[in-house]
Amino acid sequence: MSKEPVAVVGIGQTKHVAARRDVSIAGLVREAARRALDDAELTWADVDAVVIGKAPDFFEGVMMPELYLADALGAVGKPMLRVHTAGSVGGSTALVAAGMVAARVHGTVLTLAFEKQSESNAMWGLSLPIPFQQPLLAGAGGFFAPHVRAYMRRSGAPDTIGSLVAYKDRRNALKNPYAHLHEHDITLEKVQASPMLWDPIRYSETCPSSDGACAMILTDRAGAARAPRPPAWMLGGAMRSEPTLFAGKDAVSPQAGKDCAADVYRQAGIADPRRDIDAVEMYVPFSWYEPMWLENLGFAAEGEGWKLTEAGVTELDGDLPVNMSGGVLSANPIGASGMIRFAEAALQVRGQAGEHQVDGARRALGHAYGGGSQFFSMWLVGSEPPDA
Amino acid sequence: MPEVLKAPLVVEFPFTRSLGPVQSAFLTGLRERVVLGVRTGDGRTLVPPVEYDPVTAEEIRDLVEVAPTGTVTTWAWNHAPRRDQPLDTPFAWVLVRLDGADTALLHALDAPGPDAVHTGMRVRIRWAEERTGAITDIACFEPYTGGQAELTGRTGGFEDPVTGIVAPARLDYTYSPGRAQTAYINALAEQRNVGERCPSCRKVYVPPRGACPTCGVATLEQVEVGPHGTVTTFCIVNIKAKNLDIEVPYVYAHIALDGAGLALHGRIGGIPYDEVRMGLRVEPVWTAGARYPDHYRPTGEPDADYDTYRELL
Repeated sequence: MSKEPVAVVGIGQTKHVAARRDVSIAGLVREAARRALDDAELTWADVDAVVIGKAPDFFEGVMMPELYLADALGAVGKPMLRVHTAGSVGGSTALVAAGMVAARVHGTVLTLAFEKQSESNAMWGLSLPIPFQQPLLAGAGGFFAPHVRAYMRRSGAPDTIGSLVAYKDRRNALKNPYAHLHEHDITLEKVQASPMLWDPIRYSETCPSSDGACAMILTDRAGAARAPRPPAWMLGGAMRSEPTLFAGKDAVSPQAGKDCAADVYRQAGIADPRRDIDAVEMYVPFSWYEPMWLENLGFAAEGEGWKLTEAGVTELDGDLPVNMSGGVLSANPIGASGMIRFAEAALQVRGQAGEHQVDGARRALGHAYGGGSQFFSMWLVGSEPPDA
Repeated sequence: MPEVLKAPLVVEFPFTRSLGPVQSAFLTGLRERVVLGVRTGDGRTLVPPVEYDPVTAEEIRDLVEVAPTGTVTTWAWNHAPRRDQPLDTPFAWVLVRLDGADTALLHALDAPGPDAVHTGMRVRIRWAEERTGAITDIACFEPYTGGQAELTGRTGGFEDPVTGIVAPARLDYTYSPGRAQTAYINALAEQRNVGERCPSCRKVYVPPRGACPTCGVATLEQVEVGPHGTVTTFCIVNIKAKNLDIEVPYVYAHIALDGAGLALHGRIGGIPYDEVRMGLRVEPVWTAGARYPDHYRPTGEPDADYDTYRELL
């Protein structure tokens, strides 16, 4: 028996900001879930199961969110579970929920991911004082910056590429009412003049620290037929993992990322991603990861990704728009960031992305990664249901 | 086999919590010696209150006052109170259904011994002398003989409401790096870098982890690598980390020691930070009594050719 096609019929986000002091974590997730239900014109009673994801426990100090948040998410008396794959969690949470629908275990599933970074400190969470080890690291930027330098060396990319990505994403964010950063006076010169934090990564090329949540309603064909607005159809989805450090790891273009993308394209019948995919929301917490992922995801040959960025191909009006929403560079509630990529890809093929809509987007990729390039999750969504 | 290393690891952080409207009213009420519950769609009163109806999932905001007196619904004796618990002498953990409430609140009961506690006993709140808008504003419960105490008649509208709390979390671990890393750490103390070779792919892990994550087999053959190595890539750190006593800027580098199958991470010194480059040949610099090299410095050898380390990036 073939899988049940999975449709996205409801999407809800909070306005991502530095600190949501007006709501509890329960209140924050509720806001996103309520908006997703409203989008789908459904009630709590229409939801069969709830799947949530969040940032690593040390980031937030909430160890069992599925217990704490059951009331707020209408999950009493229903199956509820929590997914955890570091920064990619928003993506893998959506895929676990989608799997329930595809397997016909549940008809309609609410999936949601969140983070309240203002109530914790991710840099602390990443720098626990492990005995016998030399304390060296200075947060995620210090971890990823050497990989960026390795990419620059391998590809021969000019050192301005990172600033082009940041300038593009921050301008895209101005068209997205939910983005955290709305830098109306952004200029390329300002990005390039911002302080070097972890050389070669500048301040303006890093993501902000945000509070936010994102929710989606996933359903089967019957649910999609009742939906008030066009659904997004899942055409492929996959997860892959590999260790953070191992002999033979390609930290610039991890094998797990390549394999994950290849699996998604195979499921969706994508022969040439550059030609067949209309828009991409990828997880770019530091600007240089755009050209790196363009290569890893097969949109460009090795060493060529930066040329797409430089030529403006990834601009909102380019041939392959990337991070139309402003991306992680413009809003990073870490636990939710992966799901926001998935949801924004779905918004594009539903034609519901508002000012940052790509005209005629029919197939869009949502991508997330986490840990030390350790977990990957991706889905490809389309405006038409998969072939039977 | 030498004994594996062990050391205490304390992970401690003061998480903050925004309360939202219902918890804010509840904790501010405690500060004012008023206990508030919330009314659900089916007419029950939940204490402590929640934001969303557990039955209908609807938002609930109908706050009602309950009495500071109540009945123990169940309990457990705590023989040996630990740090930050409500009382520092042995006490009972109790669930108390306050008069007017339909659910029970968890707290401490000050009683002389377990024989003085029973389900169904009457108790009342002993208020803390100094109250800040926290659950600890209830110092504990104490035995009480009598009916329901009088209500204050207040259900909100408090001046200067509490909107957030600090929720300190602390975990006490005994950390052990395990057999393979203990051997590595002990060798490092003798200024030697000893990794382990995978019997299958033949790559040398430094530090070793006891197994090859690619092949999934145990690594036992010890191999000394270095002391010289090559900077494969690096970044220049310009922001000072809290609790890290290193002057900025400094160079954080990936260093492939000669013979190692992957790079380890270290700091580069003995050269201006802006002259560090990929391919730079380096050696460890030790300080007396340290468990690991303080940093790595240039050896003066010609830079390594890119092709010799490109597979290690």
